[in-house]
Amino acid sequence: MSPAAVNAVQVLTIALGAPFVSGAVARMEAVIQGRHGPRILQPYHDLAKLFRKETLAPRGSTWVFVWAPLGAFTAYLVVPLLIPVLTSYPLPLGYMGDIIGGGFVLALAGFCVALAAAESGGPYAQLGSSRAMTFGALVEPSILFIVFTVGLITSTDLPYALAATVRSSFGEIVRPAHVLAAAAFFMVVLADTGRIPVETHTGTLEFGMIDEARAFEHSGPLFALMKWGSAMKQFILYTIFVNVFIAPWGLASSGAPQSVALAIAALFLKALALGAVFAILDNSFAKLRLFKITDFMAAAFLIAVMAVLIFYLGGG
Amino acid sequence: MAHVPTVFDSVANVIAVGVLLAEFGMFRASMVDSQLRLYAVQSWLVAALAAVVAATRHVPSLYALAIVSAVLKAIVVPWIMLRFLHRADVDLARISKVRVSSIVLTGIAVAAIGFFAIGSLRIQSPVLPSAALAIAAGEVLVAFLLIIARTDIVSQAVGIFSLENGVFVASLVLAWGLPILLALALVFDLLVAVLVFAIVIRSLHHQEDTLSAEVLDRLKG
Repeated sequence: MSPAAVNAVQVLTIALGAPFVSGAVARMEAVIQGRHGPRILQPYHDLAKLFRKETLAPRGSTWVFVWAPLGAFTAYLVVPLLIPVLTSYPLPLGYMGDIIGGGFVLALAGFCVALAAAESGGPYAQLGSSRAMTFGALVEPSILFIVFTVGLITSTDLPYALAATVRSSFGEIVRPAHVLAAAAFFMVVLADTGRIPVETHTGTLEFGMIDEARAFEHSGPLFALMKWGSAMKQFILYTIFVNVFIAPWGLASSGAPQSVALAIAALFLKALALGAVFAILDNSFAKLRLFKITDFMAAAFLIAVMAVLIFYLGGG
Repeated sequence: MAHVPTVFDSVANVIAVGVLLAEFGMFRASMVDSQLRLYAVQSWLVAALAAVVAATRHVPSLYALAIVSAVLKAIVVPWIMLRFLHRADVDLARISKVRVSSIVLTGIAVAAIGFFAIGSLRIQSPVLPSAALAIAAGEVLVAFLLIIARTDIVSQAVGIFSLENGVFVASLVLAWGLPILLALALVFDLLVAVLVFAIVIRSLHHQEDTLSAEVLDRLKG
C-alpha cells in the first residue's frame, strides 16, 4: 500500500472503529455491574437511526449551530493523520503537525462543540460547555508539562519520536520522567473522556454533567456527528496513550497490507485492554464533587511537573 | 538524545518519587484514617526500596531492615494509631486549613527547592542514584509543609512519621553501610516516638477535650 493509502486507512480505522470501542467499553462496564448491557454494536445502530432523522434547530440559532458540529467532526478526522495509529514510521502527513499541533486541532474541536452548545441557547448545554471550557483550561498546564517531558526525553515534540524512544530500550520505559508523564497523561485521558472521577458519562443528572450536556439541543444527523465525534475523541486519546506512551508495539513497519491489518487488530486489542481498565476504574470510584475536580487536576499537574523536575535533577 | 539512566537507577528513583507522591496525597486526605492509610502505603514503598537495594547491591543486612520497617511502619504504627483514634472517639474530619490545590502548588515549589538545593551538592553514593537523595530532601520539606498546614495534632504526628520515611530514604543513600544493630535501634526509636505521641495525644484529649492545635495554642499556664 502507498503511504497515502495507509494514511487514509489510519483515519478510517479511527472513524469506523470508534463506535465499536465505545460499545465494547459500555458492554464491559455493564458486565462488571452484573447487567447484560447493550450489544457491542449498539452505537452503530444509534448513529444509523439518528442519521435518518430530521434536524431541528432552536428558534434564533444561526448557521453556527449547524456548522460547528461539522467543524468538530472534521477536526477529529484530521488528528489521526498526525499520530502513530498503525505505523511505526512517520507517514507523509505525520510531520504536518507535532504534539502541540495535534493538541490544537483537538482543542479546535472542543471549541466548535462549545460554540454549538452556546449557540443553542439551552441552559444545560451552555452549562456543560462553560464547565468543559473551565476544566479544559485546568487540564491544559498538565498537558503542557507532559509535552515538555516528551521534548526533554526525545529532543523533539513528535509523537513518532517518543514511540520510537520507548521501543528502543527497557531503560526508557522505566525512567521516572516517562513513567510520571505517562501517569499524568492517563489522568488527562480520564478527564478528557468524561470518566469517573471527573464525570459520570452514563448519568442522566444534568447538574453533574460536563461534556455530556453539550449535545443536548442537537438532534438528528448533527447529534449523530457529535456523538460520533466524542467516540472518536475517546479512541484518539486511547490510541495516543497506548501507541505513544505505554505500548508502541505491534505497529506496522512497512506498508504491506498484511502488516497493516495486523496493526489494526493490535490497535483494537490494546484499546480494548485500556478500555477494560477504564471500565474497572469507573466501577471502583465515586464521582468527585464538582468543586473537588480541581484536586484531581492538581494531582495530574503535580505528577507532570515532577516528571520535568526529576529529569532536570538528573534522575530521569 | 538525552542521557538514559540505568534500569536500577530508574526503579529506585520511581520508588522514591512514589514516597514523595504519597506525601502529597496526604494533603488531599481530609480524614486522619485516610492519611494513615497513605502513610502505610508510603512505608511499604520505603521497605520495597530497601529490599531492592539489598537485592541488587548485595547488602544482606538491608533485607532485615526492610522486613522490620515494613512490619513496624506499614502495619504496627498505623494499627496502633487507628486503634487509638477509634477508642478516643474524636472528630476526625476537617483537619486542614488550606485548600488542597493551592497547598499542592506550594508543595511543588517547596519540593523543587529541596530537589535542587541537595541535587547541586552532587553527593555520590555507591548504592543509590544521587537523585534519590534530592527526592528524599524534597519529601522531608513537603512533610514539614504538611505539618504546618494541619490544625489537628494527630495529623501533625502522622506528618512527623512520614517525615521519618523521607529521612529513611536519605539514609539509604548516605548511610547504607550502617551496622544493622544501629539501624534497627533507630527504627525502634520510631516505635517509642509513636507510643509517646499516642500517650500525649490521649492525655491532651482527656484533659482538654480537643485535638485542635489552634485550641491547644490558647492554653498558657
